[in-house]
Amino acid sequence: MNDFSSGTQALVLVLFTTLVTVTLLMCVMAGPDRDDLANFYTGYLSLTPLKNGLAIAGDYISAATVLSTTGIIALSGYDGYVLAVSTALSLVLLMFLLAEPLRNAGRFTMGDVLARNMSGRAVRIAACVVTLSATLPFLVVQLSGAGSLLTFILDIPYAAGARTACIVIVGTLMIIYAAIGGMRGTALIQMIKIVLLLGTSIVVAALVLNRFDWSPGDILRAAQHGSGAGPAYLQQGLQLGTSTGGRLDFVSLQITVILGVACLPHITMRLYSAQDVPAVRRSMSWAVGTVTAFCLLVIIMGTGAAALVGSQYITAADPHGRTSVLMLSQMLGGPPGSAGATTLYSAVAGMVFITLLSSVAGMTLAAASSLAHDLFAHAVRRGQAEPRTEMTVAAWTSVAVGIVAIGLATMVQNWDVGVLTTAAICIGASAVAPALTYSLFWRGFTRTGLLATLYGGAACALLLMVFSKAVSGTPSAVFPHADFDLFPMQSTGLVSIPFGYLSGWLGSLLDHRRRAADSREQRRLYEESEARLLAAAQ
Amino acid sequence: MVRRLKHPFPFTARIRAVVEGQAMTYADEHRYPPSAPTGWPESYGHDAPRYDSYGRQAPWNAPWDAPYAHETHRDDADLAALRSAYRLLRRISTLTALGSFVVYVVLSCYAPGLMGSRVTGELSLGMALGILQLVVTFAAVFWYGRSAQRSVDPLARAVRERTVPAGRNAGMAR
Repeated sequence: MNDFSSGTQALVLVLFTTLVTVTLLMCVMAGPDRDDLANFYTGYLSLTPLKNGLAIAGDYISAATVLSTTGIIALSGYDGYVLAVSTALSLVLLMFLLAEPLRNAGRFTMGDVLARNMSGRAVRIAACVVTLSATLPFLVVQLSGAGSLLTFILDIPYAAGARTACIVIVGTLMIIYAAIGGMRGTALIQMIKIVLLLGTSIVVAALVLNRFDWSPGDILRAAQHGSGAGPAYLQQGLQLGTSTGGRLDFVSLQITVILGVACLPHITMRLYSAQDVPAVRRSMSWAVGTVTAFCLLVIIMGTGAAALVGSQYITAADPHGRTSVLMLSQMLGGPPGSAGATTLYSAVAGMVFITLLSSVAGMTLAAASSLAHDLFAHAVRRGQAEPRTEMTVAAWTSVAVGIVAIGLATMVQNWDVGVLTTAAICIGASAVAPALTYSLFWRGFTRTGLLATLYGGAACALLLMVFSKAVSGTPSAVFPHADFDLFPMQSTGLVSIPFGYLSGWLGSLLDHRRRAADSREQRRLYEESEARLLAAAQ
Repeated sequence: MVRRLKHPFPFTARIRAVVEGQAMTYADEHRYPPSAPTGWPESYGHDAPRYDSYGRQAPWNAPWDAPYAHETHRDDADLAALRSAYRLLRRISTLTALGSFVVYVVLSCYAPGLMGSRVTGELSLGMALGILQLVVTFAAVFWYGRSAQRSVDPLARAVRERTVPAGRNAGMAR
């Protein structure tokens, strides 16, 4: 696919091996003691705000964000710019609205936040189910993407076996990071990743700007030309169309992204490892700053890819443009085979590789923590589990989650499963976001309301997703030849977010009517814990 | 009832009120500490943070032999002040961020002519606004940190010190 000498491949392989060795070593060294739960889940609250902020940013910028957003900008221009803005603002919203009370209310997992005033196993089980349904699709889509990306980077001839091997290798590494490193180990990897990612992106963006003599007008003109769309490149509508339905779909997608991405459990989990409220604020400031800077760089890189590579070549390699960063780095380095080209391509390949590894490791850890802490320790053992046992279970659930994800990713590797990212974000926006906002800010929220929000929002999002245009009925869908697209949109947020909020409200109203004593008790518990929620007082 | 802060955006205040349960069925159950029976002036809750920021050495602020009822009442007043300070900060910051973005997306979709108008050279108004939002984000985060430090943190410290009189670090531990 890419015309490169074997020297480049060798350099890339050496770089990959170095990255893997270094990160594995750090993971083992930073790993928690065998029987300390707080250390495994939060890393003793020992990270400074800067480090924690970088780790949050690292978890937040997944491989999907880096590769897909660049691709969407390269192919659809303006729509991609809006997506970059909404991605950055989502984290801002998390910081302004949820971060501080979330840190005070939570201990290890999302289940701890939601179940803090509500007894019973049903809440824990629901929290675990929603955590899994939000992280597993994300995990599968990135692992299956890892297969095709690594074969592209290493220029391995197309064969099913090669891709499966890549998926298994990345999956195994991710299991090791999550199981051995725990929260502290993965935080270190996220920090390495974000530094490498930012450094490489700055270099690539500077080279793009330099190519056009630092003139934004020239880049935009070249991008309009290269994309083949002309002036439409700088107007909304290339991604989803300019019909009324297409525009509504676009608004829906952006609202879903801004409400959903930052609520995903693997990101909120990092907030619990902040020391106190000022620390979580400073951590989030660093994280938001890093992510916003990265989004600005993504805009430059995506536009540069459209201008220098051209949409024809980008879509030929991948219809969603996920390889556009790599192709851009091939263009920028100079003539093929030169030292500059080899170095730049290897650096970008290394950046993509470490981004893939760290984001799947973070998600595995979130899913495994929820299984071990919510499902095993609180639902099965009713909170009576020994810390040592829970740690062992957490390690083994990482292995289990990893194996399931590897299996699923191998099964779907020949399909176009980018829709799973949308599904995960929709579940984040329609189940996790309503549950967290209600639980933190509404004293009248009850158990039935919580269960209704979690299950109702997630089920609504999943059901609509199955019947959406992203799954069937369009050429770019998962099943292009089937035709069961009853819901005429690509993302479900416009319906499923109000549904999630409404079901939580109705569920709570039902409790107020039917079980007035219970809901009054719930309210009393909320008020008793308010000092802790707002001021971190015991 | 303890005073309520004036809402900068009345319609959004109503939305928040629903979300936070003010408009819910229990609106009149001991949400706020009853102020009349204990004889404290109405303005107490408002003034509390200012006294608190002088620290515990202020003699009128540390009534060692104050009756228990007064202690509880002041705890409640502190908490109420903290609650409304947080609520105001959350409301302004969240709605500004979310609102500006929603307006931006809606304008992009339904006023393409306006957003497509050139600002300078090839740069259209839509693109400029998008990038401007990203740049303003840095300032917004800085502003949020400063206002939180000023309005919320002293109140939170007061509540913590009241609740955990023994041990300074107890409030930090979880």
